[in-house]
Amino acid sequence: MADKSKLGMEFPSYTFEVEKGKIAEFAMAISQKESKDQLNPLYVNREAARKDDYKDIIAPPTFQTCFPLWAAGGLLPLIQALGIDLIRLLHGEEEYDYLGVIHPGDIMTGKSKVVDMYEKEKKDKPGKFMDFTVIETEIRNQRGELVIKTRSTLVER
Amino acid sequence: MTKKIYFDDINIGDAMPTFTSAPIMRTHLVRYAGASGDFNPLHHDETFVAMFGMQRVIAHGMLIMGITGNAITEWIDNKCLKNFKVRFSGMTEPADLTDFENTKARATITITGKVVKKFAEGGENRIQCELQAADALGNVKLTGSFIAALPSK
Repeated sequence: MADKSKLGMEFPSYTFEVEKGKIAEFAMAISQKESKDQLNPLYVNREAARKDDYKDIIAPPTFQTCFPLWAAGGLLPLIQALGIDLIRLLHGEEEYDYLGVIHPGDIMTGKSKVVDMYEKEKKDKPGKFMDFTVIETEIRNQRGELVIKTRSTLVER
Repeated sequence: MTKKIYFDDINIGDAMPTFTSAPIMRTHLVRYAGASGDFNPLHHDETFVAMFGMQRVIAHGMLIMGITGNAITEWIDNKCLKNFKVRFSGMTEPADLTDFENTKARATITITGKVVKKFAEGGENRIQCELQAADALGNVKLTGSFIAALPSK
């Protein structure tokens, strides 16, 4: 069970450099495409992105999910630090606020904090509880601009 | 590229264009694992899930959210998107190559949604759209919403 004394805990920040190959690879995965030619050109073609008033290639809406996984050793260290039982863990909710745009070459820094911990009684099993842990992350670029805020709810059933 | 959608042309109750995924195969899960860096064996190793009494690997919830994001940006320009949130409600098993015709329905995800609110915020005209992703058998995988700031005519 998540250790409630960890409410407010901050995690060490991570840094992730955005490469255009990673954007294309991610876009192929979420578009279920086999080649770059089949993708939305905004994810692979700088000229197409410029025609659409972007400075450069952009990334799909859920791209930032790969930042902590590649840069911060994934979820496991975080789960261990919080005392969450991996076998009972479910991803409950995920939310993004978009405040800016991500381009190749950007260096993103993410800083995560535990902002809420609570229990809910199971509807089908009165007296048994599920534990919820909410983690917010602020992701800034190399200019210090807040680009994305993420909010992940982890559930132990 | 998406065509330009104007705030003036959207009405509360309007449906977002329905989007249907390809049937999710294990290869899609492997591709997503590599792209995202989520190598939890739950999503690719059948001998791992067998230890928990599960018959099959399951798709990453974030793959389903990613496909849902794709459904949004097929309709609304990426730069218009201000907020996107989902609540996961069901797991997705990939289709089996050994019995594709009978298993593809559980692995084919359709995203539907409708506009529930039009409002002004931060000097922008915004819409809120509720959405859900469900397989072809009707099992809901996630529900959620997005907010987009749209240009006016």
